[in-house]
Amino acid sequence: MMDILAGLAKSWVVFSLTVRYLLTTRRGLATAALAATPILLLGSLALARVETFDIVLFQLLMVPLFLQVVVVFTTLVQATSLIREEIEDNTLPYLLTRPISKPAVLLSKYFGYLASVLLLLVPPLLAAYAITEAHAGDALSTDREVLIAFLVATVLATLAYGAFFTFLSVLVRRPLAVGLGIGFVWEFVVGSFPGDLPRLSIIHYLRSILKELAPFGPLRLYTSDVSASVASIILVAFAAAALVLAIIVFQQSEFKQKA
Amino acid sequence: MTVVVEATGVSKWYGEVLGLNGFSAAFAPGITGLVGPNGAGKSTLFKLLIGQLHKDQGELRLLGEDPWNNVPIKRRLGYCPEHNQLYGWLTADQFVSSLLRLDGMPSSEATRRAREALETVGLTSAKDRRLRTYSRGMRQRAKLAQALAHDPDLLILDEPLSGADPQARVHILRTIADFAKDGGHVLMSTHILYEVERLTSNIVLIHNGKGIASGNVHEIRALIDRHPHAVRIATPAPRAVAEALAPLDHVASIEFLADKELLVRTRKPDAFYRELPAIIEDRRLEVTGLESPDDNLDAVFRYLVG
Repeated sequence: MMDILAGLAKSWVVFSLTVRYLLTTRRGLATAALAATPILLLGSLALARVETFDIVLFQLLMVPLFLQVVVVFTTLVQATSLIREEIEDNTLPYLLTRPISKPAVLLSKYFGYLASVLLLLVPPLLAAYAITEAHAGDALSTDREVLIAFLVATVLATLAYGAFFTFLSVLVRRPLAVGLGIGFVWEFVVGSFPGDLPRLSIIHYLRSILKELAPFGPLRLYTSDVSASVASIILVAFAAAALVLAIIVFQQSEFKQKA
Repeated sequence: MTVVVEATGVSKWYGEVLGLNGFSAAFAPGITGLVGPNGAGKSTLFKLLIGQLHKDQGELRLLGEDPWNNVPIKRRLGYCPEHNQLYGWLTADQFVSSLLRLDGMPSSEATRRAREALETVGLTSAKDRRLRTYSRGMRQRAKLAQALAHDPDLLILDEPLSGADPQARVHILRTIADFAKDGGHVLMSTHILYEVERLTSNIVLIHNGKGIASGNVHEIRALIDRHPHAVRIATPAPRAVAEALAPLDHVASIEFLADKELLVRTRKPDAFYRELPAIIEDRRLEVTGLESPDDNLDAVFRYLVG
């Protein structure tokens, strides 16, 4: 029992350092600015008194803008920095010469990433929704199912993309470049194909969740035979598998620092 | 304990480049200097000892155990890397206390011991400054503070004096000596024999990834003294520093380099390093960095290995 508590206390230190780093350095500020894009866009629509701006347009805009750009870019930039940046900056030895295992370091960093990224992504999503409802003159709870659908999709996207990009950050030297290719090219192209190919993309499962949880609107037109619960399980299982692979690679990795 | 570290035929490749080439040596308790020119394999050996790299061949024991993925042994180990990178967004106090909490210390004890360690290395007044604002010498001392704050059995110091200003050198050397006096063991790498000579006569010489000699330093001192020793001094007032050093009888030449740097060649490096702090202090000169180009030792090693 004491060992477990001691282990949790050490993990908390790595978690706190990660949160602090991801939120307070320039990287954190830049991603926070990016995450605020939906507020700017929807705020502009509201200020311009665009008549067609309502919860349907919110759904139409938020999938490509928020889920496919803001979320992918934010998770990519933050998750790939977790381990790779410490290797490149030659700071990893400070953690790895302490009595904490490599798997504990990686998992603590990943949970720090989750907390930080959700803190960056959820408030703009809530704000964008609030702007939409305020512009339409509706109560905040009017389209709460749509909000819940996007919140669930955002959390699962953060979980799955983050685990995959963490895996990339221990596997390849340039995880950002590889991640850009996968996050923006693979996800866009494969996710848009007809037939079963989209099953190989994360966005397919996110759209399947949105389709089922949002009670009306354009998201219901998406073609998918995967239920929201199955899609959620697939995304969680994918994240777990990516993390296990990341731990295996990290545990056996050597760290040849820059000269 | 008869041996702190034992290496038998240890080899490490970086692709096709050989980092260590059948390195064998036994490091005795107390302070041992691992001396060799840049690229000799010193950092590779230390990275193997801290478990950052895995050996390709041979047998390596650190405090009697295999260091690769060995978490418990890290309680007994303090490591000061060669590079000066730190978590620049933390203060020194936060940096050291966070790492101490990874040793399992409660927060209050970690804070107390971090402050003690920072006081030991002379950083108390700067403990609340972010590390990115630190000079090279201060960074060296902060690295040393985190390495010794948890009171390890063994300190592994990779070029701990590299680039340190005279004040930092004094602090670092004193701290290492005190640590060893209290029963700790130290492995310290350097490409400047005179640095380690002030702390111990027990050295291991490494060249091209091989251990080429070990034992008492005095036997090879005579060889080394035949080669003028170069010291690069960074200072905003190079002319004033040159004027102060020129009268010393063991100074063979002084060369002005670009960017406010001097290259001084001396025939008695130990005397030079001993006298320099007093000269700087007496004349109120400002010296921001001292560096010894590794060609000094390289020449000696070329001589030693034929």
